Amino acid sequence: MLVIRRRAGESILLGESIEIQVTEIGPSRVKLGITAPPEVVILRKEIKLTREQNQAAAQGVAMDRAAELAAQVARARRSGAAHAGDRATPRPANPLA
Amino acid sequence: MPHFATKHFGTIDFQPEAALEFPHGLPGFEQETRFVALEQPGTKPLVFLQSLSRPELCFITMPVQVVDPGYRLTVSEEDLQCLELAEDRQPEIGTEVLCLAIVSVAEQRGPTANLVAPVVVNLRTRRAVQAIAPGSRYSAQHPVPGTTAEEPCS
Repeated sequence: MLVIRRRAGESILLGESIEIQVTEIGPSRVKLGITAPPEVVILRKEIKLTREQNQAAAQGVAMDRAAELAAQVARARRSGAAHAGDRATPRPANPLA
Repeated sequence: MPHFATKHFGTIDFQPEAALEFPHGLPGFEQETRFVALEQPGTKPLVFLQSLSRPELCFITMPVQVVDPGYRLTVSEEDLQCLELAEDRQPEIGTEVLCLAIVSVAEQRGPTANLVAPVVVNLRTRRAVQAIAPGSRYSAQHPVPGTTAEEPCS
């Protein structure tokens, strides 16, 4: 990774057609201005990762395995509660009603 | 009562106030702004997030506290604003918000839950957002308890 220091107002050029300018520096974050041709996709990194996760989740929906998955989770919760000697957590009023 | 023909559940009826409104959709599904959360007796604690515009689009989710009982929310100010919630503190799960982790089922790895980007729903207004907390200690692929994805206890 190339690490460069910039002050507010200074820019970085990527290739022939992309410019990133540090427009403002705040106590905990910086504001960046990005100039790029329309075909260059600009995404905050965490959005890209979440997008990929969601697309994988939506595609791989194995609804026929949902019952099996639910049973495994329910079993793990019951056995977890037994080992810990806890009472089952009281369920809140169904917020989905 | 409004209804919608889904791929996996047939035609469902729902109360209009049960429809969840995602002003910005979800990452990767920015056009999908209306969903309904479905539970079935045979598949609890799973919650199905069913799109109200695409019949085949349905996410399997779980309440975050089923995946991790000690889960702590870290919703950003922008997301709290989008959710129409106070911006000076985290909302309380169960009373103010419903908090769901989207589950991915991958053959090689077993089911995992996305704890770094939970779906957060304002229980009062039904506004919802997928709240990404970059830099949080949570994993986007947290093994679902009780399944093959989980490490065996040593």
